[in-house]
Amino acid sequence: MTFWDVIQQSWSPMLDGLQVTIQLTLLSIVFGLALGLILALGKVYGWKPVRWLCTAFIEIIRGTPMLVQIFIIYFGLPPYGIRLSPLEAAVIAFSVNSGAYQAEYLRGAIQSIPSGQMQAALSMGMSRWQGVISIIMPQALRRVIPPWTNEFIYLLKYTSLAYIIGTPELMAQARFVASRNYEYFQTYLFAALIYLAIVLVFSELFSWVERKVRIPGFEFHK
Amino acid sequence: MTKDRDTVLRMEDVHKSFGDNHVLRGVSMGIRRGETKILIGPSGTGKSTLLTCINMLTPPESGKIWLLEDEITASKKVNLLRQKIGFVFQDFSLFNHLTALGNVSIGLTKVKGMERKKAREKAMQELKQVGLEDKASSYPAQLSGGQKQRVAIARALAMDPQLILFDEPTSALDPELIGEVLQVMKKLANQGMTMLVVSHEMGFARSVADEVIFMEGGVIVEQGPPAQLFSKPRVERTGEFLSRLSGLFGEEGEK
Repeated sequence: MTFWDVIQQSWSPMLDGLQVTIQLTLLSIVFGLALGLILALGKVYGWKPVRWLCTAFIEIIRGTPMLVQIFIIYFGLPPYGIRLSPLEAAVIAFSVNSGAYQAEYLRGAIQSIPSGQMQAALSMGMSRWQGVISIIMPQALRRVIPPWTNEFIYLLKYTSLAYIIGTPELMAQARFVASRNYEYFQTYLFAALIYLAIVLVFSELFSWVERKVRIPGFEFHK
Repeated sequence: MTKDRDTVLRMEDVHKSFGDNHVLRGVSMGIRRGETKILIGPSGTGKSTLLTCINMLTPPESGKIWLLEDEITASKKVNLLRQKIGFVFQDFSLFNHLTALGNVSIGLTKVKGMERKKAREKAMQELKQVGLEDKASSYPAQLSGGQKQRVAIARALAMDPQLILFDEPTSALDPELIGEVLQVMKKLANQGMTMLVVSHEMGFARSVADEVIFMEGGVIVEQGPPAQLFSKPRVERTGEFLSRLSGLFGEEGEK
């Protein structure tokens, strides 16, 4: 079979898989962002026990393999009455994992904002919380876009691990197709090209966003 | 310290330490409405700390501070009192993600709950007051140091403060930009704004200050009208410091 034949035969299941991959990525990055924001704010502004708790959570998640986390959630929880579909288990595992990494990127961005910004906010009568929301975060979120784009790309590719628990995402579909046509090289090459294309689309999208919200003189390297 | 109706700010026996470093060792003073007082003294003497004690960015350990009738040091609503005390920083600390107009109007919308359109109109007036209405849509990075500091002054003015604290407002500026900032401050003083200014601009002190306060080692060593303090200080140490200062700044302060 030529590469073209493989594409023609397999594009339908592969696109089904791509749809699940994108769904998995978007859900996980959004939940992960919410979790990451809470962890980062807790770590920077929380009182001591909160700070400690956030740090411990981040270290545990970053210090253990993602595959182990997926297995614990999918295979480890049913005995305790929590039965999740492969997609649900994968979304939870990826959200938690990505949340820990996003928290660290966000923390770095928050701490890169000079302390004078908060001082100025407080001295005009803002509460600390108003200062965070109106002054610190609008700056920190702009700064976090480049590392966050990296995290998004990592996550998108890492979702391929979900095939192991039977989530019908792109990688699972590629394995299925290859087990039928025996064209392993060409089928996986096709999958790889789809991943590459989608990564390029998203990284272009995020650099467009970065330019869109750019503020003169506020770049990192100036 | 005598208390009278016109007293905007009053403090009694204010102490502040950072660890073992006893920075303020009992400072008492007062400012009446419309007065401009200039705080001078060697570095590390607690001048800036005194300013941040007044708006409770660094709360004092002991002593009392009043803004009009409210005791700031005992207040549960520090945010509310801070609205009434403008603060101008040495390094400007303009909000980097906002335009000049945004910097001046954000306190009005977020803190005072003013309607957006009204806030922008008022912000525009304040920018006019400091001569920067044509820079309203510039971001901080697009402004010169002097322009940044004038925006910072407009930002403080917008809140209609009872008092503005200036923490070495011209020390981070290139010499040729100092004049425009002092000009604005002089104008404010003439319009009757109450101001407490940490500054070593002798010319400025001489022309606008009602009183110059010399601080050293965490206490007020001497205070008095600039003419008296500069020509015949009562305390020897004051004279020494002043002559060293004029050696450094010389006639440059005479703008």
